Amino acid sequence: MASDNHSDSGNSNSNGNNSGNNFKWDPLRFLSKKPDEVLKKVDDRLDELEKEYFKGKKDKEENLPNIFGIYGVTRRDFLKWSAFLTSALMLPYIFEPRVARAANILTRTPFIWLDMADCMGNTEAFLRNANPTPAEIILNYVSVNYMESIMAPAGYQAEARRTETVKKYKGKYILVVEGAIPTGMDGKFLTIGAKGDTGLKITKETAKHAGVIIAVGNCAAYGGIPAANPNPTSAVGLSSVTNRSVINIPACPANPVNLVGTLVEYLLIGKAPQLDNLGRPLWAYSGRLHDNCYRRGHFEAGEYVRQWGDDGAKKQYCLYMMGCKGPFTWNNCTTAEYNQDISFPMRAGHGCIGCSQPKFWDRMTPFEKPNADAKIIIPGVEATADEFGVGLFAAAGAGIAAHAIYTGVKKKKERNNNKSKNENNDDSKKNNDKKE
Amino acid sequence: MQNKNSKYAEIQLVHRMTVIKRIIHWSFFAAIINNIITGFYIAYPFLIFGKTPTQADSLSTGVLNSGETYQAFIMTWMREFHFIGAVIIDVIFFVWLYLAFFSWKEPLYKSFIPFGDKMEEAWRMLKHYFTLKDRPETGKYQDPLNAIIFTFFHLLILLQMLTGFQMYVASFTGTSAVGAWWPWLLHFSTDWTLVVFGGLTGVTLVHLFIMWLIIIFIVYHIYIEVWRSVMWKEGDILIPFGGYKYMRNKSGSE
Ligand code: HEM
Ligand code: SF4
Ligand code: SF4
Repeated sequence: MASDNHSDSGNSNSNGNNSGNNFKWDPLRFLSKKPDEVLKKVDDRLDELEKEYFKGKKDKEENLPNIFGIYGVTRRDFLKWSAFLTSALMLPYIFEPRVARAANILTRTPFIWLDMADCMGNTEAFLRNANPTPAEIILNYVSVNYMESIMAPAGYQAEARRTETVKKYKGKYILVVEGAIPTGMDGKFLTIGAKGDTGLKITKETAKHAGVIIAVGNCAAYGGIPAANPNPTSAVGLSSVTNRSVINIPACPANPVNLVGTLVEYLLIGKAPQLDNLGRPLWAYSGRLHDNCYRRGHFEAGEYVRQWGDDGAKKQYCLYMMGCKGPFTWNNCTTAEYNQDISFPMRAGHGCIGCSQPKFWDRMTPFEKPNADAKIIIPGVEATADEFGVGLFAAAGAGIAAHAIYTGVKKKKERNNNKSKNENNDDSKKNNDKKE
Repeated sequence: MQNKNSKYAEIQLVHRMTVIKRIIHWSFFAAIINNIITGFYIAYPFLIFGKTPTQADSLSTGVLNSGETYQAFIMTWMREFHFIGAVIIDVIFFVWLYLAFFSWKEPLYKSFIPFGDKMEEAWRMLKHYFTLKDRPETGKYQDPLNAIIFTFFHLLILLQMLTGFQMYVASFTGTSAVGAWWPWLLHFSTDWTLVVFGGLTGVTLVHLFIMWLIIIFIVYHIYIEVWRSVMWKEGDILIPFGGYKYMRNKSGSE
C-alpha cells in the first residue's frame, strides 16, 4: 500500500475502483512529485484556458468584478471565498490565487445543464438565493449554453443550441446533469423538448463528447427519489446510462461549494478529482458527518434529544434518538456547511437524513426515528429487527417450554408404566434404572 | 476408566473439553453477554444522562444524573467495552476455527466425518428429543447434532464480526495508527456486506438482528444441556466446568 509506484492511481477517472480500498490521498493530485512542477503545469493550463476564453487582459481582469459588483460582493469577500474554497479542496494555500483564476475561467467555460426527472431543487438552491455566495453567483454567470430553466430560446431553437454546443466544443464543455434518468419503456417516461426526445437519449448523446460529466444531486448521482422503491419508471443515476466516467455530487440539494469546487479542480488539473467508491470527490465526501459533528461530544456523553423542543434540544444535545443518520452518511455539511458557513441540519436542530448516500429514501427512513426502528427487509415480514427478534425469541421460548412440559409428562407416564410392570417383574427394575 | 463398584460398572468417564477449550468457552460467554448489553445500549441508549429537569424526571428519559457533559462519557464506555468484547470474540473465533481442525484431543471435524453416517446420527438425535426413545450412543466426540448447531452458531458470530467490522471501518479515512493495511483489510473483507445488506444502515440492522439469533441460541443451548443432564444422567452440564462427562452406553452393560 505504502509503496511509491502508486502515483498513477490518481489518473483513474473511473467511477469506481479508486475506493477506500486503495485510497491514497495526494494534495498535489498526482500531477507530479515535485511541487514546483505541479505549479508550473497548473499555471500553463490556466494560461492556455485564459487565452482561449477571454478577449485580452482587460476582459479577463474585469470579468469577476463586473459580476460580483451586481451583488455587492467586494474583492475582499471574493478573496476570502477563494481561500475558503482552497482549503475546502484540501489544496495547499499557494493555490489560492490559482483557484481564483480558475473561478474566473469557469464563468466562460461552455456549459450544458440538463434537467431530467427531478424537482429542480438544485437549480432552485443555486439560482434563487437572496444572499448568494460567490459559489452561487459564479453558477449564475457560467456561460450556460443550454439550461432549460433559464435560457431564452425555446423549442427547436433550444435544441439546436444544445447540438451546436456539443459540436462546437467537442471534448471541452462541462456537462452537469440534474435528476434521475427513467429507463423504463425505453426511457419514454421522460420526454423533453419540441422533438420529444427521451431523457435517456439526450443524456447519452450529450455525455458522449463532454469534457467532464457531473451528476449533481442525489437523483442524478444514484437515482434519488424517482428511483425510490418501487421505482415505477426504472429511474437510474447518470453513471448507469453512460460508460464514461461521472463525478457524483450527491445531496439534496448538493452544496454549491462542492459543485464549484469540483469544477474549479477540473479546470486546475484537467482531470476528474480523486473519487471514492461511490464516485464522489474525496475532498468533499471522505468524512463521515458523525465524526465531524459538533454534537458528537453529547453523543459520547449519552446526552440525547428525546423530543422536539425538550431541554436537550435547547442545549443542542445529540440527535441520535431523533433519527439522525449522520453515522451512516459521508459529506462535508458539518465542515463546509450550507449557504457558506451559515448552517447545516444538525446545527439547525434536525438530524441528518442521509441525502448523500445511495437509495437514501429507502435506506435512511424513517427519517426521524433511530435506524434500529427501521423495518427490516425480509420477504413476508413487516417488522423492526427488534420486533422480529423478540417474536422469534418468544416463539423459541414457547417451543422450549412446550418441549420441557412434553418431556415431563412423557417421563411420568413411562415411570407409571414401569411401576406397574415392576410389580410383576423384579428383574426389570435394574435395567430401567440404568436407562433413565 | 472403569469404576469398580458393580452397580456403576458400565459408567465411563469421557474427556470432552481441554483446559484451553474451557477457558475459551467461558471467555466467549462473558464477551458475548458483554456485547449484547453494550450493543443494545448503542442501538437504544436507555440510560440517558443529563441534569436538565425534563430529561431527568422520568425513568425512561433519565435515571442517572451525571453532572456536566465532560463528566459522563457513557456512550464512549459502552462502545469501548463493545470493541474490547469484539476483539475477544474475534480472537476466539479464529482459535475455534483452528482447533476445529487441528485440536489433538477433540477436533470438531471428527463429529462430521464420515458425513453421511453423522447426518443420520444427528437426525436420530433430533428424533430422540421428541420421542425420548432410542438415544444415540454417547461417543468419544461431540454428537453430530450439537456439532452442526455449534457450527451454525459460529457462522452467526462470523457474520456478526463481518458486519461489526464494516461499521467499525466506517470512521476510518484511508489510513490508521498501524498503517493503511488495516482499513484496507477491513474494506477488503467486509465491503460485500454493504452490497448484500443495502448500505451501512442495512448492515447495522443485520448486526442487530443477529444479536437476537445469538440470544435465542444461548437460551436453547442452556436448555438442551440441562435437559440432557436430567434425561441422560451423564452430567453433560459438567463438561465446561470439569472437562468430563459420563458415558452410560447400553452396549457397555448388556
Ligand atoms: C455476540 C456478539 C455481538 C453482539 C450481540 C453485538 C451487538 C451489537 C448491537 C446490538 C449493536 C447496535 C447496533 C445498532 O446501532 O442498531 C452493535 C453495534 C456495533 N458492533 Fe456489535 N455485537 C457483537 C459483536 C461485534 C463484533 C465481533 C464486532 C467487531 C468489530 C462488533 C462491532 C460493532 C460496531 C462497530 C458497532 C457500532 C458501534 C457504533 O456505531 O458506535 N460487534 N453491536
Ligand atoms: S447529531 Fe447526528 S451526526 Fe451529530 S453526533 Fe449526534 S448522531 Fe452523530
Ligand atoms: S446533513 Fe445529511 S441530510 Fe443534511 S444535507 Fe448533509 S448529508 Fe444531506
